[in-house]
Amino acid sequence: MRRANRRSSADGEGRAFSTPPRPGLSNTVMELRGVSKHYPGTPPVRALDEVTMSVAEGELVGIVGASGSGKSTLLNIIGTLDRPTSGQVLIEQTPVAELSDAGLAGLRSSRIGFVFQQFHLLEAATAVDNVATGLVYQGVRKGLRRSLAKEALEKVGLGHRLQHKPPKMSGGERQRVAIARAIVGDPAIVLADEPTGNLDSQTSAGIIDLLRRLNQDGSTIIIITHDPGLAASLPRRVTLTDGRVSDDNVSAPVVDEPASDKSPAWIRGTS
Amino acid sequence: MKLKKNRAARRRSSVHRSKLLPGDAVATGTQGLRSRKGRTLLTAIGIAIGIASMVAVLGISSSSKADLIAEIDQLGTNLLQVQAGLDTSGTASKLPKEAPAMVRRIAPVEEASSVSALKAGVQRNQYTDDSNGLDVLATEPQLLSTLEATMASGRFLDAGTAGLPTVVLGAVAAERLGISSPAGAPTVQIAGRTFSVIGILNPTPLSPDIDRAVLIGNEAAGKYLGAEVIPTAIFIRANPTVVEEVRQVLSRTVSPAAPNEVSVSRPSDALEARAQVDQNLQNLLLGLGAVALLVGGVGIANVMIISVLERRGEIGLRRALGATRSHIAVQFILESAGLATLGGVIGTALGAAVTVVYARQQDWLIDIPAQGLAAGIVAALVLGALAGLYPATRAARLDPADAVRPG
Ligand SMILES: Nc1ncnc2c1ncn2[C@@H]1O[C@H](COP(=O)(O)OP(=O)(O)O)[C@@H](O)[C@H]1O
Ligand SMILES: [Mg+2]
Repeated sequence: MRRANRRSSADGEGRAFSTPPRPGLSNTVMELRGVSKHYPGTPPVRALDEVTMSVAEGELVGIVGASGSGKSTLLNIIGTLDRPTSGQVLIEQTPVAELSDAGLAGLRSSRIGFVFQQFHLLEAATAVDNVATGLVYQGVRKGLRRSLAKEALEKVGLGHRLQHKPPKMSGGERQRVAIARAIVGDPAIVLADEPTGNLDSQTSAGIIDLLRRLNQDGSTIIIITHDPGLAASLPRRVTLTDGRVSDDNVSAPVVDEPASDKSPAWIRGTS
Repeated sequence: MKLKKNRAARRRSSVHRSKLLPGDAVATGTQGLRSRKGRTLLTAIGIAIGIASMVAVLGISSSSKADLIAEIDQLGTNLLQVQAGLDTSGTASKLPKEAPAMVRRIAPVEEASSVSALKAGVQRNQYTDDSNGLDVLATEPQLLSTLEATMASGRFLDAGTAGLPTVVLGAVAAERLGISSPAGAPTVQIAGRTFSVIGILNPTPLSPDIDRAVLIGNEAAGKYLGAEVIPTAIFIRANPTVVEEVRQVLSRTVSPAAPNEVSVSRPSDALEARAQVDQNLQNLLLGLGAVALLVGGVGIANVMIISVLERRGEIGLRRALGATRSHIAVQFILESAGLATLGGVIGTALGAAVTVVYARQQDWLIDIPAQGLAAGIVAALVLGALAGLYPATRAARLDPADAVRPG
């Protein structure tokens, strides 16, 4: 809530999640137009095939699909870590194809937050320092970096673990540190690639709850998961099949569906 | 508050730029070293050994040279020695009798003293033999001041004792004869005659011949040994500013008829040559140190390449957090340079310590050139940065999407 308020008062154009879009002004944070990604080889791999989709500010989107269906490729392209073979990627209406490698890095430094399955934390650094790293490449000074990092850690429920180092933390705690690092710079969009892939189902539920809460506080979030139960709890689910969007489904989340359910409704696209 | 404004401004302009503050660049570059302390230390040791050996070689040779130079300076570089050489038929020639007087007439000659080798042996008493390699030299009282020699004990010849059966012993001569002091009136036998020892000289490094000599007065040589005193060597103190010029004219002055049969030398040159010989050894040792340093540098490059492979995930994460390729390259170059600099600091300290210990042992002046220490550390830093260039390039070229993927 604090962050959302600060944003709206800071630049006047941010808006709380519940505010309806202003007419004539797009609130699209991310847009893909006919994006394909091919890897050369025999046979060549079409990791993504003509994907068109967009995500509006304040959305919480799940991307689901079988292993190898192109989810990570899609997320890396949205996150500008990768460039598409063809098609257009727009982040906050800016076509990223026009940006240089350094320009993309700049965009990532302030507008995109990442959460990875394997956490990617600095093992020798404390939780605060790990989170503060999220601001290093924005040129934020150390003092401010630390106080923002503390704030972010409190937001993910780790206010009591500031000086702990990753080896002393549980998997769930580590992922919370990584999430704090992703949100500390107040990015336009948070991209999480299987954030619960290394966690047990109870811890996973906690992480998804946290992401949902951050979304309610104003963050736009895309979560990759191949856990149908977790996916079902999200308000929007995009299904990838062999690099193509086979389903894009907005519905009331089914929060209480057990994580172990092996007959997911979204596979048939009928939920 | 400032941050908020910046963010608002960035959002409006929709131009975003990564930025790494210099302090953060250094912190990022050393973070990898701090989190792998064991490996850091082991890798730094390679460089440390190279730098330590170079600093020690420089320090030790400079300390020994400082000592030698202090010694030479103290002895003076303005001492010249004229010696009878060989004539055209190869037999030893003698200097003209009037040579010392002629030499003294050269204006910049401050002092000159002659010695004359006598064909006589010396023995402690009549029962010992005289094959002890000692020379009997007839000389004049001012030899002491010309050589700037000092007495270990007793006194030198003077106008009075130069005409009496008295001798002064060189340092080596005294030792060989087993006489340590003129106290107790010791005597020696020269050509069957008894001479009393009145003094013993300290070593004279510029004229080792004197160390091995038993000195008697010119007058006494004639009176008691019946010898004709013909100079065989002249020691000359010249005005220090024109030593070379004096040297040029000496042989012609001493022997106008046969200047080639006279040899002129500057005894301090021999000592300086000793310093020169050290220079060659020093270069060799420096070369070895440089090889050790190079090997250390290759070691660092190796470890850095491994580090880049191991830290693919971290590199991918940093790219995801907004690091540019240059930021990644700078991180690894700084890490490599930091690693080598650590080695440089350890090596310099080690080299200086070795120098101090060795110089103390040798009783030398301790002289560690400060530029040498600074150069050691700077050399390590530069070497480290160079060694890090290739690994850093590899790190910077990693595809960020590949780098964040598991496995
Ligand atoms: N760098 C690459 N080179 C070649 N093929 C790749 C590369 N990255 C991914 N792929 C292929 O692209 C397809 C999609 O991969 P990915 O996006 O990782 O799928 P998911 O995350 O859904 O499991 C897979 O067939 C994978 O093998
Ligand atoms: Mg994946």
